Amino acid sequence: MSEVFGERSDISKDQEGQASTVPKASTLGMKIEDLSAYYGSFKAVTDVSMAIRPNKVTALIGPSGCGKSTFIRCLNRMHEVIPVAYAEGCVKLGDQDIYAKGTDPVTIRRRIGMVFQKPNPFSKSIYENVAWGARINGYKGDMDELVERSLKRAALWDEVKDKLKKSGFDLSGGQQQRLVIARTLAVEPEVILMDEPASALDPVSTQKIEDTMAELKERYTVVIVTHNMQQAARISDYTGFFYIEHMNDPGQLWEFDETDKIFSSPERKETEDYVTGRFG
Amino acid sequence: MPRETFQKELDRLVEDVVGLGREVESCLETMVEALQAQDVEIAKREIGVDSRFKERGTEIDEECMVLQARQAPVARDLRLIYTVQVVTNHLVRSGTLCEHICHAVAETAEADRDPDLAATLSEMARAANGLFREGLDIFEQRDIDRARDLEAADDKVDLLYSEAMNLIVNPAKEGGGSPEWRTRAALMVHYLERIADHGVDIGGRTVFLVTGERMESAMRQYRERRVESDED
Repeated sequence: MSEVFGERSDISKDQEGQASTVPKASTLGMKIEDLSAYYGSFKAVTDVSMAIRPNKVTALIGPSGCGKSTFIRCLNRMHEVIPVAYAEGCVKLGDQDIYAKGTDPVTIRRRIGMVFQKPNPFSKSIYENVAWGARINGYKGDMDELVERSLKRAALWDEVKDKLKKSGFDLSGGQQQRLVIARTLAVEPEVILMDEPASALDPVSTQKIEDTMAELKERYTVVIVTHNMQQAARISDYTGFFYIEHMNDPGQLWEFDETDKIFSSPERKETEDYVTGRFG
Repeated sequence: MPRETFQKELDRLVEDVVGLGREVESCLETMVEALQAQDVEIAKREIGVDSRFKERGTEIDEECMVLQARQAPVARDLRLIYTVQVVTNHLVRSGTLCEHICHAVAETAEADRDPDLAATLSEMARAANGLFREGLDIFEQRDIDRARDLEAADDKVDLLYSEAMNLIVNPAKEGGGSPEWRTRAALMVHYLERIADHGVDIGGRTVFLVTGERMESAMRQYRERRVESDED
């Protein structure tokens, strides 16, 4: 069995859809085959195929409007939330086709969590922000322990442990983003998708998010869309460059390789022009 | 084009390196002339150049460091700055070796010489100088096709090296030159071989700069391709 299709050993079928607290023995990767994404008749992304390795950070870079965010939203079926939007092709989490008939998108979104550009905590306490997702998923374990563990993994615990009852809105932007990450972790996802998670943050908060990601990949598979190429170079193991060849064409995955390769000697001229800042 | 200022800074950096290289090349030409003519006065012209080259090398290194700090270069920009640093090191070292040879020529002007060994040294100096110039041209023009021929040219220098060492170790009973001169000749042979190697490395680094591929790997692919086409 390939590295990408590792078998998850800790979730049995009857646990599907429920938050698990069992430490994971292995993490799943994803495999995307010929994925195209549409907004009505407009094709935004065409024929993307790539393997997202488990326990690695995969960064997606490219000029604005080239389909990175659309693509990442297809990875947990968030794209179809927009009316008239749909995707074609195959996206697998481990061996499971997440677009297979009868697959519950809500379950998929729990297993493949997402963090957005702007922190979006709920208007609840810090504690409840983290506990909420697990509670509605029927989590029956020690909630205090889950909240603490999730906040620790998101590198926020030390800063909030004495004010857990305060509102999530009382935190700084960088702290709010880490709170959202903790909220995502509390439902024990397999994969964490991040769509420009640090673009609205100051450099110190950005650094904390980056440090957090380095730790997250020990337990999760991480995919991040970023406009900050140095960030992609710093934190990711693999990088995918999305590009639109001609105006009004759909975006496509132009080059995908190890980050070291993309930022030292990419294969394609357009990739090199983009990462060196010669266009985009 | 975006990043115009950065591009200008990179262009200026390359100009500085090529400028330094041409100065070292001119110094090497003088050295060849001095060696061929065993002319003390010509040799003395280049004594003292080493410190100037080192100073220029340090300035280029500092420029590279500032560019890396300020511009966070990646891909070809990063390869360029890395290559510039390595090439600069080769240039400065070649300049140092050139001065050493000029010193040796000046200090052994009156010594008895083996004419065969002297001729081999002169030929080796011309070949080493040629390789250095070729490496620098390849870097300046990014003409990596020519880099493929550098190793063959270096083989010739290596052959001359063996020939010279043989004459040094097994001197003729008569006309083998004074021991002092033969000792100096051994050092000069070594310096010339190093200068030729610096030339080869400058060309090899240019292959890396242009393709991202290491010279060793490029050479291996080239040889394998040649074998395949021979079989056709």
